[in-house]
Amino acid sequence: MRKKLLGVMSLLMVLVMIFTGCSQKSTADESKTEDEKYKVAFIYVGPVGDAGWSYSHDAGKEYLLKEMPDVEATYIESVPEGSDSERVLTELAEKGNQIIFATSFGYMDSVMNVAKKYPDVTFIHCSGYKTDKNVATYFGRMYQPRYLSGVVAAKKTASNVIGYVAAYPIPEVIRGINAFTLGAKSVNPDAVVKVVWTNTWYDPAKEKEAAKSLLDAGADVITQHQDTPGPQQAAQEQNAFSIGYNTDMSQFAPEAYLTAPVWNWGPYYVDTVKAVRAGTWKSAQYWGGLKDGVVALAPMTDLVDEETKALVAKEEKKIIDTDWDVFTGIIKDQEGNVKVQEGQQLTDEELLSMDWFVEGVEGKIAE
Amino acid sequence: MQKYLKVEKRNMNNQYGMFAIRIGGIFVALVLGAIFLIFSGHAPIDVYVTMIDGAFGSAYGVNETIVKTIPLLIAALGVSIAFRMKLWNIGAEGQIYAGGIMASGVALSFGDLPSLLLIPMMMIAAFLGGALWACVPGIARSFWGTNETITTLMMNYVGILWVDYLVFGPWKDPKGYNFPITAEFSPSAFLPTFGGTRVHIGIVIAILCSFVIYILLNKTVWGYEIRVAGENSDVAKYAGMNVTKNIILTLMVSGGIAGIAGMTEVSGVIHRLQSNFSPGYGYSAIIIAWLARLNPIAAIFVSFLFGGLIVGGYAVQTSGLPASVALMLQGLILFCVLGAEFFTGYRVSIDKRFFSKGEAKING
Amino acid sequence: MKEKRLVSMKGIGKKFGDKWVNEQVEFELRAGEIHALLGENGAGKSTLMNILAGVYKQDAGQLLLHGKEAILTSPKDAIQNGVGMIHQHFKLVENLTASENIILGYKKTFFLNRKNISEEILKFSQKYGLSINPNDYVYHMSVGEKQRIEILKALYRGADILILDEPTAVLTPQETKELFDILRKMADRGCGIVIITHKMKEVMEIADRITVLRKGRKEGTVLKREVDEQRLTEMMIGKYASERKMKDRQVTNEVGLEIENVTIKNDKGFVAVENMSFDVKKGEIVGIAGISGNGQKELAEAIAGLREIEKGNIKIDHEGIKEKNPRQIIDMGLSYVPEDRMGMGLVGNMDITDNLILKDYRKKKARKGIFIQKKKVRENAKDVIDQFEIKIENIDAPIRTLSGGNLQKILLGREILEDPKVLIAAYPVRGLDIATTEAVYDLLLEQRNRGCAVLFISEDLDYIMQLSDRIVAIEGGKVAGIVKPDETTVEEIGMMMLDGQVG
Repeated sequence: MRKKLLGVMSLLMVLVMIFTGCSQKSTADESKTEDEKYKVAFIYVGPVGDAGWSYSHDAGKEYLLKEMPDVEATYIESVPEGSDSERVLTELAEKGNQIIFATSFGYMDSVMNVAKKYPDVTFIHCSGYKTDKNVATYFGRMYQPRYLSGVVAAKKTASNVIGYVAAYPIPEVIRGINAFTLGAKSVNPDAVVKVVWTNTWYDPAKEKEAAKSLLDAGADVITQHQDTPGPQQAAQEQNAFSIGYNTDMSQFAPEAYLTAPVWNWGPYYVDTVKAVRAGTWKSAQYWGGLKDGVVALAPMTDLVDEETKALVAKEEKKIIDTDWDVFTGIIKDQEGNVKVQEGQQLTDEELLSMDWFVEGVEGKIAE
Repeated sequence: MQKYLKVEKRNMNNQYGMFAIRIGGIFVALVLGAIFLIFSGHAPIDVYVTMIDGAFGSAYGVNETIVKTIPLLIAALGVSIAFRMKLWNIGAEGQIYAGGIMASGVALSFGDLPSLLLIPMMMIAAFLGGALWACVPGIARSFWGTNETITTLMMNYVGILWVDYLVFGPWKDPKGYNFPITAEFSPSAFLPTFGGTRVHIGIVIAILCSFVIYILLNKTVWGYEIRVAGENSDVAKYAGMNVTKNIILTLMVSGGIAGIAGMTEVSGVIHRLQSNFSPGYGYSAIIIAWLARLNPIAAIFVSFLFGGLIVGGYAVQTSGLPASVALMLQGLILFCVLGAEFFTGYRVSIDKRFFSKGEAKING
Repeated sequence: MKEKRLVSMKGIGKKFGDKWVNEQVEFELRAGEIHALLGENGAGKSTLMNILAGVYKQDAGQLLLHGKEAILTSPKDAIQNGVGMIHQHFKLVENLTASENIILGYKKTFFLNRKNISEEILKFSQKYGLSINPNDYVYHMSVGEKQRIEILKALYRGADILILDEPTAVLTPQETKELFDILRKMADRGCGIVIITHKMKEVMEIADRITVLRKGRKEGTVLKREVDEQRLTEMMIGKYASERKMKDRQVTNEVGLEIENVTIKNDKGFVAVENMSFDVKKGEIVGIAGISGNGQKELAEAIAGLREIEKGNIKIDHEGIKEKNPRQIIDMGLSYVPEDRMGMGLVGNMDITDNLILKDYRKKKARKGIFIQKKKVRENAKDVIDQFEIKIENIDAPIRTLSGGNLQKILLGREILEDPKVLIAAYPVRGLDIATTEAVYDLLLEQRNRGCAVLFISEDLDYIMQLSDRIVAIEGGKVAGIVKPDETTVEEIGMMMLDGQVG
């Protein structure tokens, strides 16, 4: 009897599922709200308290709210990059948000799918490469402040070995390592940059371990492309120096921290929201640099000497004011082959798909 | 205190009583959660309404819950088979990844084939992948007595890292700007969906699997052997069953089915292979299998509720609750429901004799 | 002194689920007496005593200890009130010494002064004539010694009410005699002793008074000197026990089972059976007499293919089984009723149908393709239930709640259903009541008369003498002697079991 009942119930459930499945309608038009507040939303891949990537976006959101008090912003944190993101995006679109900022690369497919269903909602996807009428991408030329931080590191190192804790061998990270190395080499030709991959964005313990292995290998300055201050702490514990990432990390390692290439999303968010509201917004692939203020080098601490500070200021001015950019020839790869001819520059396309290391990097891009 | 309570074993055969106890567990969880929410400055009723509404309150919510149910259910069915034989297959997560790899391999290599051919091929490949993943611990257990709890768990990491290797290396999308994902499958490798929703045919596969496995376990010769060996392997040997062979076979079928969960996920939802494509379905499956008491039919409902718990957890975030509180609520509900299981096996009651005639008490 | 009441149980009732297992039971224990609690299995003896020992709580009635009402919430509570119970399964820590076990959980001090304690315990044990070595580790001890430790443990905690649950089930005749001496000494010192048993002979030997339970109710309390075995049996089972069927021996000279110079190791890798040889003819019951743990289990398991034969060979119907697996041996016609019913022979969480097809589930009669024909085998199960008079309320319920007798009937029924060529019955009546015991023995005799070679392993010499055509006495894994029952005595076999040679 009981078995039969179960059978009938499960059959019913299938029917309900199919029925509700077919009758589903897109209801974005309901989102024309009567609220005076303009609704925008953010989804983050990590927790906002990570002191890293998600935190930097949240700081941008806070900036937006301060600048535009009539904007209402919701966020959802710790959204995995699999099937969950599509549901979360849909939910946010359903809830009447006009603009949704998706702040991780892995949301790309989901953003494209949901954007098709909600043509009236604007989706802004960070670090991706797919666009649509209502989907734009945005990112920053983080390699520029990375280059500057390389200068700082190379001036500081005594052993001429700089450790680099890196997340995944993807173009964004490789680009950063290369820029950093070029910066270091520009002031200290003997410097080498040792790279260790962690295969994680967010794992305090693992990142710290990776930094320790670099310190053991002779590095006396540590930098990172990771979202936690773990490597900073490792450097402080072994009386080495450190360069952070994402945000000012001085509080985590006051005796080691020199500076950090940081994100500053706030102004871009304000501009975007204003443009969408005014109806002047157009889909684009935004890739701002030092000039636009979306990336920056955080203020250098007293551990950096005045000469270096002046040098960095000069280099920064060169990037902002002239056509010169970090990846201007001559640049050789690890085997010594010339990759960029004298006076030539890499195109954005080439930068975005970078898969080789410059001379001076010790490490391998995992095959 | 202890003196005033009686704790006694009981044989509960009353299905309604069991059901009531579990519902009671959920209720306790909600009350505890409410207290916590009040202290953290949230209105509990609002949070619960948002949660239930998010998961079951709309056609969309139900659809999304079903999307979650699919991998959870299939993986739970997989582990149930092994658990029936008291083989602690904790490796469903790795088997999901192995299944995902194999299915993706087929999808990427034979993208030109029509759906009707390609999808069954992917499914078979996924089954073989999961089976292979579980077969390694199975052989180790049968021949050298290694503890399969540990080996299956270790195989999880191997599976997860294999996916990383493939998407960073050989299978990287050539047009993907070096990002760690494979190219999108050709549409013929997509599982068909219902209407405009994300609910895909995987739900039919999953429910079909439930019934097939129910019949397999309860009506067939092989299922009989698994049940006997699961109750007591000494009895199985005494009855002349080949326990060694059955350990490997059972683990392989268990892993193979979990592998299919990987296939439905890459083929039905993500449409490509990428790192960490399963957010721990294989681990949730273990809890589901237990809550369903290893009954494949009950697993359908438990998975659906579990899917709702996950979907609802994200929904409450939109009402301003931090993700950690949402996770805490999910954990609390699970804890209480699992805790309630105790009461299905034991009776706790107030010892009335202490309150009837209080004066006659001569305890040491 | 003699009339001092240690225990009065008045109108005791205990319910498991909806079933009353004790109802309106009156029980009284006086200082200085040995009181036997007699009844068939399932009569509620253990339940009643577990209430007295604080394991269960009664659902009705009143319990008075030393004249005062007592409410016991745990065994610890009971011991504080002077009640100690010696269970069938000892609760000792194997890798501690005797004295450590005795003080375990009793002395409140953190550090132990081993020497003082050992001396104290030695003195204490001598007082009651219980000889032990306080510094011996429990895993070195024989069953009898362990039992003595349990008794000492209770006494040391100040118990003057001692309950022993089937204390002689695991003892040799000599050990039993020693135990009875000790109990008598303790009673003389003013303790009250309850022995739970169903062995009539022991009751008549040791008890002062006897309380008989039947189906959870008290049938009566009598003085031993006023009753005989016949009367007690009547009280227990309500009718006169039937006379055993006459033995009609039809031993052929055809050999059914041969054990040829067999050596077998136990789980720890030690030799458990050494160079053993004997045979069982078709139509013959051979009884294995020996104290538990002298190789019986290993021998039986080796015949069933569950244990490797190190040396020699075993033949069923002249065919060696050394290279065969259990399945093949079953197909050769071996049936095996193992000692551990629930641990090896049956699956407690399955219903009777699933248990009955355990050996035959692959055969045509139980399956159709890959499916088990549950309906068909369920019908067969009903026939078995009728044939063997198995008492079962719900045919689809797991069998774990059935009584030992019913379980044994299911097990034995399954094993003889296929008309085996060789039947091994290991301790087939352990823990069974008289009626079931008789039924089981009748079934064994029936098999013998059909021409089956029956190997009967038991510790009850009386039954071995009654049932067997030949008796193989074993000791230390070796054959100590092979005798015919009408040419020997229980005492002679007992000596062989102990010394390993004919005395």
